Amino acid sequence: MSSNTAIISSFVEGAPPGELANVIEDIKAITGPDPNLIKNLSPAFQKYNEEQFITAKLPGGSSQVIISEFSALGEGRYFDSESQSSFEFDHSTGKAANVQSHVLEGEQASLVKSTLSTVGTYVKEHYPNAAYGAYPIENDTKVAVVIVANKYSPHNFWNGRWRSFYIYDPSSNSLEGSIKVDVHYYEDGNVRLLTDKKVNASVSAGRAADGIAREISTAEKKYQEDLNRSFTQLSEGAFKALRRQLPVTRQKIEWDKVASYRLGQDIGGGSVRR
Amino acid sequence: MASQDPFDCALDLLRRLNPKHTGDHLSNIISLHPDLAEELLSSVDQPLTVQRCKQTGRDYLLCDYNRDGDSYRSPWSNQFDPPLDEAGAGGVGAGGSNEGAGEGAVPGERVRKMEIKANEAFDVYRELYYEGGVSSVYFWNLDDGFAGVVLLKKASPQGDATTSGVWDSIHVFEASERGRTSNYRLTSTVILTLATKGASLGEVDLSGNMTRQVEQDLPVDSDESHIANIGRLVEDMELKMRNLLQEVYFGKAKDVVGDLRSIGSLSQGQKDRETQRELIGSMRR
Repeated sequence: MSSNTAIISSFVEGAPPGELANVIEDIKAITGPDPNLIKNLSPAFQKYNEEQFITAKLPGGSSQVIISEFSALGEGRYFDSESQSSFEFDHSTGKAANVQSHVLEGEQASLVKSTLSTVGTYVKEHYPNAAYGAYPIENDTKVAVVIVANKYSPHNFWNGRWRSFYIYDPSSNSLEGSIKVDVHYYEDGNVRLLTDKKVNASVSAGRAADGIAREISTAEKKYQEDLNRSFTQLSEGAFKALRRQLPVTRQKIEWDKVASYRLGQDIGGGSVRR
Repeated sequence: MASQDPFDCALDLLRRLNPKHTGDHLSNIISLHPDLAEELLSSVDQPLTVQRCKQTGRDYLLCDYNRDGDSYRSPWSNQFDPPLDEAGAGGVGAGGSNEGAGEGAVPGERVRKMEIKANEAFDVYRELYYEGGVSSVYFWNLDDGFAGVVLLKKASPQGDATTSGVWDSIHVFEASERGRTSNYRLTSTVILTLATKGASLGEVDLSGNMTRQVEQDLPVDSDESHIANIGRLVEDMELKMRNLLQEVYFGKAKDVVGDLRSIGSLSQGQKDRETQRELIGSMRR
């Protein structure tokens, strides 16, 4: 039983963006009826939701709140700095409930508020549809920033997610984080792009909230340009080296004469010596 | 929706989970539902393994179609490695029985002759298109013709620490002989893994597989023309799939990233579009 739970949990944690429900349906069909399935999977759901920065809408609200380790209060509750509220999150249904007031008043409270504003301006300029958040973490000594953008197009058999987070340490002015991109394409196949990029930056003098947004903007712009360049390099380099589009002769093979190719070893310039 | 077929759902799950680890997912699914083992193992393509032929010293590729128990048949020597127990090889004679995959499907004399020619032809094909790598072709008899699989594998040189790539092609076909024509049904899968890393780029992994099918009736006047027909079908299919892979791996992936995040400013883009609309509007007036 426990080894089965470990296997099924690994399937949950590996679900592509926007496809968790499909993965669960598949698991149910493979394992057969099991009334304890969802209960057994709750640690995996929590891990998936927090790692993937899953978003939810608060009851009656319109903006998105993010589930992450940075916004976790324990016992299934999370908080959102923007709306100054905390809520209960059901990891298996993805629904938020029982909203309470959660006013930030610690040492980082003002930095969190001003960072929400500067990062929000940046996010709106570069993400057509993203959620973002800023949170005081580690006993109110640091500030975490989270950005997550999803685009699901299951009718066209692709889904994608961009997620990034950054931790600002006011004592050293350092900003550390990572950017991860996950794209799944599955029309008559299964193709996955998975990336992981660590970011290390230093927030220079001036208002910290401005510096944080500026460094994030610079790092993400550079990363997207580097990533685009890597697509070109892989296409022109490794991909081309694996299989040519046409032989050196730039002509398709004359299959009726293929036996004579072996005799005339100069064709194609390859060495067919055996 | 209440009770879906476990086999279909297992295939659906394998289409969703990270294709780089299909082998692990497959064995995990089988341990959850052991009855699916045989059906899944024969329908899910995995990267090919290379083995050296003891008789000829040439490399060949392993798959379910040249396997009998734990032994694999070399297309170059026609010998199984490890050799089959005489008593266990039962039923395979010169007349050619056809036991299908995983049961030591040794082709009959005529089909083996074609298999030898096909291996020679695809060895040339491999050199011209892959400039390296390994190829193997396995044929087996069918009641109204024959079937086969054309395998190609190429890995990028291991010396490169930053970029790696592996290409596996698996082309399974059935040829139904109908007098002067033959009906060919081809199912092709390409498994392509690419990975690159760097200090500024971090880690990028692009892995996956794609499958396409084609069916065609072609004239046949000799066994040689079978090889030529299969050759053209595979060559056309690989060209099509290479273009498709290029489009999906590099074009589509980049487009989706661009849909998630815009390098340029969205408000500036909006202003530019409005200016353009006004310009077009003013030209119309």
